[in-house]
Amino acid sequence: MKIKSQQDWWAGWMFVAFGVFFILFALGTPEFIDRIVGTKLIGGYQMGSSVRMGPAYFPVVLGGMLAALGLIVLLDSIVEEGPEVATFHFRPLIFIAISSLAFAYLLKPLGLVLASIVLIFISAYGGHEFKWKEVAIMSVVLAVFSVLVFVKGLALPFPVCPDFIEVCPIR
Amino acid sequence: MLRLLLLAALAAGPTLATAQVWPSKPLRLVAPYAAGGPIDISARLLAAKLQDSLGQPVVVENRPGAGGNIGVDLIAKGPADGYSLVMSAIATLAINPSLYPSLPYDPLKDLRHVTLLVQVPNVLIVTNDLPAKNVRELIALAKQRPGKLDFGSGSNGSTGHLAGEMFKMMTGTYMVHIPYKGSAPALADMMAGRIHLMFDNLASALPSIRSEKVRALATTTLKRSSFLPELPTLDEAGLKGFDMTTWWGVSVAAKTPQPVVDRLSAEILKAMDAPDFKDRLRNMGSEAPAIRTPDQFASFVASELKTYTELVKRSGAKAD
Amino acid sequence: MEGIFGNLAIGFIEVFKLQPVTMWGMTLQHVPFNILMCLIGCLLGTLIGVLPGIGPVATIAMLLPVTFNLSPIAALIMLAGIYYGAQYGGSTTAILVNIPGESSSVVTCLDGYQMARQGRAGPALATAAIGSFFAGCVSTLVVAMFAPPLAEVALKFGPAEYFSLMVLGLVAAVVLAHGSIIKAIAMVILGLLLGLVGTDVNSGVLRFAFGISELADGIGFVTVAMGMFGICEIIANLEQKEHREIFTSSVGKLMPSKEDWKRMWKPILRGTFLGSALGILPGGGALLASFGAYTLEKKVSKYSHEFGKGAIEGVAAPESANNAGAQTSFIPLLTLGIPSNAVMALMIGAMMIQGIAPGPQVMTERPQLFWGMIASMWVGNLMLVILNLPMIGMWIKLLTVPYRYLYPSILLFMAIGVFSISNQPFDCFLMACFGLLGYVCVKLGCEPAPMILGFILGPLMEENLRRAMLLSRGDPWVFISPSKPISMGFLIAAVALLAIIAAPALRKKREEVFVEET
Repeated sequence: MKIKSQQDWWAGWMFVAFGVFFILFALGTPEFIDRIVGTKLIGGYQMGSSVRMGPAYFPVVLGGMLAALGLIVLLDSIVEEGPEVATFHFRPLIFIAISSLAFAYLLKPLGLVLASIVLIFISAYGGHEFKWKEVAIMSVVLAVFSVLVFVKGLALPFPVCPDFIEVCPIR
Repeated sequence: MLRLLLLAALAAGPTLATAQVWPSKPLRLVAPYAAGGPIDISARLLAAKLQDSLGQPVVVENRPGAGGNIGVDLIAKGPADGYSLVMSAIATLAINPSLYPSLPYDPLKDLRHVTLLVQVPNVLIVTNDLPAKNVRELIALAKQRPGKLDFGSGSNGSTGHLAGEMFKMMTGTYMVHIPYKGSAPALADMMAGRIHLMFDNLASALPSIRSEKVRALATTTLKRSSFLPELPTLDEAGLKGFDMTTWWGVSVAAKTPQPVVDRLSAEILKAMDAPDFKDRLRNMGSEAPAIRTPDQFASFVASELKTYTELVKRSGAKAD
Repeated sequence: MEGIFGNLAIGFIEVFKLQPVTMWGMTLQHVPFNILMCLIGCLLGTLIGVLPGIGPVATIAMLLPVTFNLSPIAALIMLAGIYYGAQYGGSTTAILVNIPGESSSVVTCLDGYQMARQGRAGPALATAAIGSFFAGCVSTLVVAMFAPPLAEVALKFGPAEYFSLMVLGLVAAVVLAHGSIIKAIAMVILGLLLGLVGTDVNSGVLRFAFGISELADGIGFVTVAMGMFGICEIIANLEQKEHREIFTSSVGKLMPSKEDWKRMWKPILRGTFLGSALGILPGGGALLASFGAYTLEKKVSKYSHEFGKGAIEGVAAPESANNAGAQTSFIPLLTLGIPSNAVMALMIGAMMIQGIAPGPQVMTERPQLFWGMIASMWVGNLMLVILNLPMIGMWIKLLTVPYRYLYPSILLFMAIGVFSISNQPFDCFLMACFGLLGYVCVKLGCEPAPMILGFILGPLMEENLRRAMLLSRGDPWVFISPSKPISMGFLIAAVALLAIIAAPALRKKREEVFVEET
């Protein structure tokens, strides 16, 4: 069995995985697994009937459809020619993700100015060219701009200065 | 020895300073809902007023989630220095403790309730096509057609829902509850006659009542509303003791020092008594609450908590 | 008819009124204050529309205290200006950087961004502005003339009708895709499932939250959009070293060509019509309008093969539709006192604070307010098109900035915007997750646009389905019963559309089978 379309192959598995995931968490683990493990592994929601649908009804039906479509896509991947999966470039992915996470979790402790600078540096590092002076200037400019527009202009309740500075000159 | 004393003084200095000169830095008023709702709006109104009288910026921060629980928990578990306030409401203080299976905070122990800001009655409204001109006829109709009448509400466990459940319990009738996402779509369905009645808060129902798109039968408070003085109360109509309002106010963390709480309470009351602020709150349907001091507010919260715990349990409503 | 013109005259007089204004100790006479407020609103709205993640709701809420000191008409004019300004601004980011500012700009991303990549950002932006302006004018007329009867039509939409409309919308969402139909349907369903995360309206049960209380109210649209469109796009761009040369080298004319004009006027008309009709429906009208218009264009246009690759109709139609929808979504507010979306709810708040009870009596008791608002819609749209057209040059210049400066800025603004939703880090975490998901999906040949549409429509569809069943006490035939012609009509249209979609695909499959057999 040769995989003729790599894209479809993985896409199919992704859909099946999502479908099964939602069905599992909507219905909960079946009895026999609970008995083996000892406790109820995953609680589910009520299914209800088709006339009085419970919260699990839609997710189960949709999850089932998704899994079914996933299987069709899997079949397609064996039968029909399709494109290959292009290579994953991990570097931009990781750096962009980390920079936004860093920003979010550092905003309260470090304040908007420092957190912005961190984000700019990390995300710039994930790109192709990284020149220290350029990035430094850009980060300062953007930090100042953000404070002016978002905190002063739009009055978003972001801390500007880090936590350890008691009274912030800018508010 | 002198150096030790100096160091001690320096260390104690900031704390002494903050305790004496509260507020010395900006305050934060958490509105545990998304921007734009009535609680958020009144928070912004209050913040603007407090900013003037306290001389420090009061920043409104929206922390939506879990029916308001997240925002309230944030303040309950936060520093008790008087710089973090939260808009606490009937939902987060009286209803959610029994509605949700577990609440991260205790509404009586973890919070100090400062001032009750707004109290809005609910109104029993019915669709125009319903052949019931008053509460008595409605009860008779409900008894004639058990399970045939639909009553809408803004969400599971909202005051509208619970008012309906209370009504059902006190009159011994059975009506089907239809939850909506907010009272606006429920009102729309009511105008069209798809649902038969609902207990909506006065502010959102008033335009429809005035324009005669729906018919108001009674209010849910013990006293008649000054906006609709000709409307009887449910208590007058036979459901003795029926008294439900939608309310919200300001709370802080439990261990906040008493002088700070007192000053806060005084300032908020001053703001509430200002004629323009009073007007704006009135425009939201609120009558100036009789409950003024933090202690009165605290005992009010305790009694509401007791009432609603009972009601939620008997009605079987739950938010998982 | 004279009544209308008389009323509109009242409105325009109110908008252009010269008033004495006291500010900073000085009193200036003869200031056209209301126009000034309109301008400020439009400018502010455009700004926040362009900033990814920040929307009109948060801004209007923040400005409410400012409006206390203004007269009711000035306050409402300014807030309304922010609202449609945000629509215009949202289209700009959709076209330039593939980030939808508003949910209704998702569809503009599809062809608008492709046009920008081909160096046609100028015509794309111009088309959006012109289409929006035309739609704004026409729909303002619609509001002025037909508000009360349209409101009555809106009331006829109950849960059954909404459900059927959503089904039709979801089928249309599949049309949006230009790749594999099966994968598009799967993406729609995936979106539907992700939209179900959160508290279930009908039972109060918390679904798929895994104990994370931040998920109790579901995943926000902005989070998903920023992740799947914004983050994903940045990562994809960073993969290709030569990417930005395409943009900078062939940045072309600013204005649409003659052929563009010829191609855009009919989509604008159709989009306006559809948008005006769907905008009156409370809850989701404007979004349905924009991608309903796109779907319609894709089906009737002779350039339908270009859709998804930069067809100008794909920008003209949804832009007109969403602006028309934005204007007509005022109708339930002005006539019934019911808000059709979060912004309208804020308007009600603003009115109530001013002591005005929204509802039908506003038209009769305060004609200057009512007609002044309607006149300001025109003035606002005019201002926006005057503001936006010259700015196109500025935006084009911005595109020539080297990408290594551009993308960190975009990322920063996105992070700030997403963080400000609930002021905690979790939403940014979710955004990063959706960015990863979007990246994986693109690699696997699955398109994010159908998923986002499923995400928005899914919960609405389920809510209405269950409510309709609740009201009908479990009778499943209620959706196609003769007593509900609208619902039946939508479902029939959905089936028909499905057939139209499936037919060419089936025919292709049959041809392939034949080819293999011979």
